[in-house]
Amino acid sequence: MPADLWPFLLVAAAAALACRFAGYLAMRYLPPSPRLDAALRATPLAVMAGITAMALAAGGLSEALALAATIAVAYVSRSDVGAALAGVGLVALLRALGL
Amino acid sequence: MSRAPFTWAGFRRGFRFGMAIAVPIFVYGLAFGLVAAQAGMGWGWATAFSAGVFSGSAQLATISVLQTGHATLTAVAATVLVMNARYLLFGATLQPWLSQAGPARALPSLLFLGDANWIGTMRAIDQGEDDRAYLAGTGVPPVVVWLAGTVIGAVFGSILPDPRALGADMMLPAFAAAMMAVMIHSRRSLVPVAVGATAALAVGHLAGQGWGIVAAGLAGAGIAALTAPTQRAADAG
Repeated sequence: MPADLWPFLLVAAAAALACRFAGYLAMRYLPPSPRLDAALRATPLAVMAGITAMALAAGGLSEALALAATIAVAYVSRSDVGAALAGVGLVALLRALGL
Repeated sequence: MSRAPFTWAGFRRGFRFGMAIAVPIFVYGLAFGLVAAQAGMGWGWATAFSAGVFSGSAQLATISVLQTGHATLTAVAATVLVMNARYLLFGATLQPWLSQAGPARALPSLLFLGDANWIGTMRAIDQGEDDRAYLAGTGVPPVVVWLAGTVIGAVFGSILPDPRALGADMMLPAFAAAMMAVMIHSRRSLVPVAVGATAALAVGHLAGQGWGIVAAGLAGAGIAALTAPTQRAADAG
C-alpha cells in the first residue's frame, strides 16, 4: 500500500465522477452508435470474467469449487448477491476443513 | 419551460426501493472494509474511498492495483474508468428522463448512481414513474449502509486474526462470478466472457492483476465494438 494515498483517492474519485456524468452529458452530443453500445455493454462482463479467471488461476481446489458453486447458484436463482455471499461462505468452510 | 416533478413523495418512493437493496450492500460494504483493512488501508482511508468512489467493484479493483506495490495514478484512473464504464451507459439511458428535471437536480442525482438502483429506477420509469427525485431516493440507503459497512468491516478487519479464513479475499471474485452469471443473457454474451478471461490471464500473468482487469475490459469492449451489428448490416439483414 503506498504511503500517501491522497493522490490515488483524488484520481479514483475523479474517475468515478467522470463515469457517472460522462454518459449522461455525452448524450446531448453523441450520435447513438451500435458499436459504442455494444462496447459498453460488454465491458463489465469481460472484467467480471477476467477477475474470476485470475482468481481461479491463483487459487486452488477450494476457490474453484466455491466459484463454480457461486456461478451455478447465481445462474439458477438469479440472485447474484446471495450467490456471491454463499460462495464466500463456502470457501471459508472449505478452508476451515483444510481443503 | 416547465420542469418535471422533483418532490419528497417521489424521493420517498425511491427510498423504499433503496431500503430493499440496502442489506446486501451493507454486507458488501462490510466486505470492502475487511478487504481494505487486510490490504493495510486504515478505516479512515477505506471510508474516504467509499465516499469518494461509491462503487464496490471499482474500489476493490483499485485496492488490488494499490496492493501491487508499483501502482501508478494512470493505472488507478484506468481501473476505475474500466470498472465503471458501464456507468456511461447507465447515465446515457437515464438522460432523456432525468434531464427534464434540469441540471441542478439531475447532476447531483447521478452521484447516487449504482448498479442495483439504476435497474430499479429504469424499472420505475418503465412503470411510469414521473418524479425525478426517485433516483436520488433509491441511492440514499445504499450510500449510508455502504459507508457504515466500510467502517465496521475495516475496524473488525484490523482485529480479526485472519480475514482469509472468512473468505474476504474471495469476495470480489465471488461477486464478479455471480454478477457475470446473472448478466449472461444469451450465447452472444459469452464472447466478452471468453475474451475478458483470456486477456486477464495473459496480461495479469505478466503485469499483475490490476492490468489484467484493465486488459479484460478493453479487450471485451474492443471485440464487442468490432463485432457489433452495424445499422447498415441491420438494414441489409
